[in-house]
Order: sequence, then structure tokens, then C-alpha cells
Amino acid sequence: MTDYIIRRLIQSAVLLFFISMLLYVILNLVPGGPFDMLRLSNPRMTGSQLDRLNALLDLDKPLLPGQYCPQIGEIQEPCRFDQGRYLRWLGKVVQGDWGKSWTIANGKPVLGLIGGRLWYTVLLMGISLVVAIIIAVPIGIYSAIHQYSIIDYFVTALAFFGQSMPTFWTGLMAMAIFSVALGWFPTSGVRTAGSEGDIIEALGRVLSFGRSHPELAGQEWATIVDGLKHLALPAGVLVFFNLATWSRYTRTSMLEVLRQDYMRTARAKGLAERFVILKHGLRNALIPLITILALRIPSLFGGALITETIFSWPGMGRMLIDSIAGVDWPVVQGILVISSFLVVFSNFLGDLAYAWVDPRIQYS
Amino acid sequence: MSSALTPQSPSQVQAVAPVAVRKLKSESQWSLAWRRLRRHKLAMFGLFTLILIVFMSISADWLAPYPYDEIDLGKAYAPLMSPGGDGLPAHILGTDKLGRDILSRLMYAGRISLTVALATTILTMLVGTIMGAVAGSFGGWVDNILMRFADLMLTLPDLPILLILSSSLRQNQALTEFLGSNASVIIIIIILVVFGWMGVSRLVRGSVLTLRSQEFIQATQALGGSRARVIFSHLVPNSIAPIIVAATLGFGAVIISESALSFLGFGVMPPVPTWGNMLNEARNSPLEYLFTQALSPGFMIFLTVLSINFLGDGLRDALDPRLKL
Repeated sequence: MTDYIIRRLIQSAVLLFFISMLLYVILNLVPGGPFDMLRLSNPRMTGSQLDRLNALLDLDKPLLPGQYCPQIGEIQEPCRFDQGRYLRWLGKVVQGDWGKSWTIANGKPVLGLIGGRLWYTVLLMGISLVVAIIIAVPIGIYSAIHQYSIIDYFVTALAFFGQSMPTFWTGLMAMAIFSVALGWFPTSGVRTAGSEGDIIEALGRVLSFGRSHPELAGQEWATIVDGLKHLALPAGVLVFFNLATWSRYTRTSMLEVLRQDYMRTARAKGLAERFVILKHGLRNALIPLITILALRIPSLFGGALITETIFSWPGMGRMLIDSIAGVDWPVVQGILVISSFLVVFSNFLGDLAYAWVDPRIQYS
Repeated sequence: MSSALTPQSPSQVQAVAPVAVRKLKSESQWSLAWRRLRRHKLAMFGLFTLILIVFMSISADWLAPYPYDEIDLGKAYAPLMSPGGDGLPAHILGTDKLGRDILSRLMYAGRISLTVALATTILTMLVGTIMGAVAGSFGGWVDNILMRFADLMLTLPDLPILLILSSSLRQNQALTEFLGSNASVIIIIIILVVFGWMGVSRLVRGSVLTLRSQEFIQATQALGGSRARVIFSHLVPNSIAPIIVAATLGFGAVIISESALSFLGFGVMPPVPTWGNMLNEARNSPLEYLFTQALSPGFMIFLTVLSINFLGDGLRDALDPRLKL
């Protein structure tokens, strides 16, 4: 087992090295740079001035290790070997410096920007995942036990509908119905305009027992309620989408278990049906769900690009869209490398969890 | 090949075949599958709806009440079922911000969305099948490199990369000039294929690996069949059922991907309408018109993908009854 873990860790590190390199190369081969806007608004800027600005950000250096021949304007300097921008970036990342934003938040460190958005995404994705699982698992179990009943058909239909409705449509329709027509929820954003703080700051104050965010004193709960109202529609859209997937997974997994011999044995022993289903059936049916849950970890932090964009939720997904539209490659690179890391890591975690809950699985 | 191997002349074969073969031939795998599919009510509903949608899109030139780009600024954001001007057809689904008829735009948009999905699906299956078949039948280091490459591609976050590539390739002057007026459509297809072949290649590789050790493959090899013959006339046809199911479900996924890209403003560019960029325009319209603007393009996406999913489910049951669940 230890051998297996070590081997997987090495494989993951190699995979991540290549992924981050590929991402870096793709982003840097794509046209567009940090000074595009500057040049557009200053048509008299000369090429050598631009070269000098690019040199300040090392953008004149080669991408991968190779010859570097500095040229500023007409002046040609002797060539020398350079480690390349990718390895330089990687070296800084290892030391905790993920670079600085080019355009969306000029000059701010990438890691700080990500940290500022992270909790909004975790809140949105976490709540919608938990609510979806709490609703979907019992539904899936019920419809598996009562296969071909009316409720089972209803659940299957719901799963088909949920999988076929893209979030960009359900999101717009939910906004049109529940906030424009009925006025139950605000259309977008994270707090009512003019209020002091938002739900994340209020939660921070509550969790630190009033030591942080003194400006929110006395109105923590009002702020949280306001935040939950803003959260309702985006979370609802994601719950609906997840509901379809999770109820179908649970149903399939439970149907598989119900056919097993040990279920018949348990019944033959004279155990109560309820006990057979819950103790022998459910516990085995949940095993595959653990793997699927592990595969969902990246999205918990990576956020939902489309839903966050529709509802102007200030999470990671929305920041990613903004930074792609604004050609802010350091931010994009940071977000994508972190989410690839989470994908690789959670795959690994899923395999380990699987082996841990199911002793029949042996890695060697 | 040589006439020595076929003693009968062609005319003899023609004379004999219809009577003898039809009587003796048992039902083929495909007609069995078709009979099973016909019993699957949801799949037949899906097939019927899809045919309707395709027909509606193809015949947009004749059936659409208005041209998709006819602007009538006096009639912007007309509600559902609003009457047209004197003698003109009604705007059944209303009009958009420039007074263009939404129903007509939906019909033309279907052409682009369906063409992108069809082209992407066919190319994805082609690339994926070749990659998977080569990896599975060559084995060794070829297999290792191809599958590690597939792993790498699967780990890359696809939607963000699609956004980055499509926004930057579109700004590439040389490429857009080379591809002509449909540049954004072609770029989307290429990107979706490059990031979509991995699933199919794994599927094909898996079934090739299980088939490879079976007797009929060894028999082909023993009879001197070339590697290409083994791959393309024995391995691929025998793993065709899961490929068809994957292609069907993949078609629905491509419709959603293309719409998502166009919805975010990174996909097919106006004035060419697609269901996705119509939703993008809906999102940017004043809130009181959001419902009428977003309802129909989104419903078309939903209906198409739902039909495809029903059909895919039916095909899975029909082509391989062992794969129940």
C-alpha cells in the first residue's frame, strides 16, 4: 500500500509538471499581453518603449530554457543562456509567489486575488452539493427499491430533464420567474447595495466570536440572511442540476446492490427488511458514491463558471471568465494550475477512499 | 481478386441470391436492434422530435416567416403571439431587441447548432476510434504514450481552455481570412474535437483489448491478415455498439458545450444566430423582457438534448441488452 501511494504521488507530480507547462505554453503562445490597453490608449508609444516594458516583466525571455538575445530597440546585446519563463514561474510558485495580475486588478498578487474569491465559491458550491446530496440520496434509494413504480419513473424523468437543461438556461429562467416576475429573491450579486458588509464577512465575524470585522457589530445575522437570499437562486440552479446526477447515481448503485447474493442471505436469515436495506444495502451502495464525491472536490473550489457569471456571484468561476476576457494570463494560469492540482489530488484521494471503505480492493 | 476463386459468374449470383439468401438468412444484428429500439417509447419520441428539429432547421429558407436578420426597430421586444404588420405573419415567439422575429432566428440557429454538433461528433468519433484502436492493437510504448497523452488532456480544465483558445484564435487575422466567413464556427468545431476524443479512444481501446485475445482475431492473423485489416475490419466493427451510444450522447454534450461557449460570448459570433448566442442576447436584454427572450432558445437546446439522451438510452438498451441499468 505504501509503495502504491508513493508511486501515485510521483506520477501525480510528473503529471502536474506537464499540465502546468502545457497551460503556461498555451497561454503564452496566445496573442495579447499586459500592455495591449496601454498601447491602444497611447498610439504614440514606440516599439522600443514597449520592448522595455515587456522586458520588465521578463516577457522578452524565451518560454522554455534556451538562448536569450536581448534586444531593446536597435541595440543588440550578446546572447546568453536563459532558464526560460516557465521554469522561472515554477521556481517562484514553489516559493509562494504566483505572480501579479496584469489587467483585472493591476499589480495585485494572484494568490491574494484567489484567496479573496475562494470562500464565496466554497459557500455556493458547498451548500448546493450538500443540499443536493441530502435530497437525492433518499430519492435514489426509494426509487431503486420501488423500481418501475410511478415514483421511479418520475425520478428517472427528473434525472433526464436535469441533465438536459443547461445551467445557463435554468439560471436565466429562474431569474426571470423568481426574481423579476415574483420578486422573491434579488436578481444578482452577493449583498443589497448600500449594506455594510456581505455574508462572508458576517460569517467570519460570527466564527471568530466578534473579533473580526467590527463594522458589522450587531447586524451579523441580518447580513447573513441577506446573503442567503442572494445565494438562493444560484444555489437552487446548481442543486437542480446536481439532483439529477446524484439521484441517478444512487439509484443505479442501489439497484446493483439489491441484486447481490448477500442481500438474499440477509433476508433468508430473517432480518427485518428495513435493516436489510439500510445496513446491508445502503452501506454498500454508498461506496461508488464516495469516488464520485471525491471527483467533485475540484468543482467545490473551482466554482461554477456559468452560474456565477449569470448571477454575478463573486467566486472563482467568475474571476476566471473576467481574467480570460481581460487577457490576464497570470491570474488564469494560477486558477487553472490550482484546479488541475485539485483534479489530480482528488482522483488520488478517491482511489484511496475506495480502497479504505471496500476491503476487497487491493492496490499493489 | 481472381476469377478462379469465384466460379459463378455475376449473373448467376444475382439470379440465385434473392431467393436462397432471403429464406435462409437469419435476422441480422441491426434489424434486431431496430426492433428493440422501436419498442422503446422514449427513444422513439426522441428520434421523432430530432427528425422534426432537423427538418425545421433545413427548411428554414422556405418555412421561416421572416429572414433571420430582418430588422424592425419599431417592434423591438414584441411579446409572444404579437401580430405582424399589415399582411405580414405574426411573431409567434415575439421579437428581439432589433425587432427580429425570434421563431425565424430559432430555425436558422438550429442549422448552425446542429451542424457544429454533427461535424464535431463525427470527427471526434473518427479521431477517438483511430487513437483507441491504434493504442489497443499496437500495445507497448505506443499504447503508453497515447494513453498518457489522453490522461493529460482529460486532466486539463476543458471549458476555460476552450474559452481561451476560441477567443484568441478568432483574433488571429491569417486564420480568420483563411477560414472565411464561418471562421468562428470552424474554430469551435476544431477545438471541441481536439478536447473531445479521449473518452471514445479509451472506450475503443478497452474493447480492442478484450477482443484482441479472442480466437477469430488470432485466426485472421494466422491467415495472414494485415494489422490494418485486423483493426478496421474486425476490431472496430465488433466494438461499434458502445461507439454509437457514446456518439449519440456526445452529440448532446456538444450541443451544450457549443451553446455554453456562445452564451458566454466566446463561441459563434453574431450576426450568425445560434441557440447559445441568442441566450447571450437574452441575458443582456432589460430584465422585464428576460423571460420571453430566454424561453424559446433555451427550450430548443433542452428539447434537442433531451431527445438525444432518450435516443441514446434506447440505443444502449437496443444494441447491447447486457448493458441494462
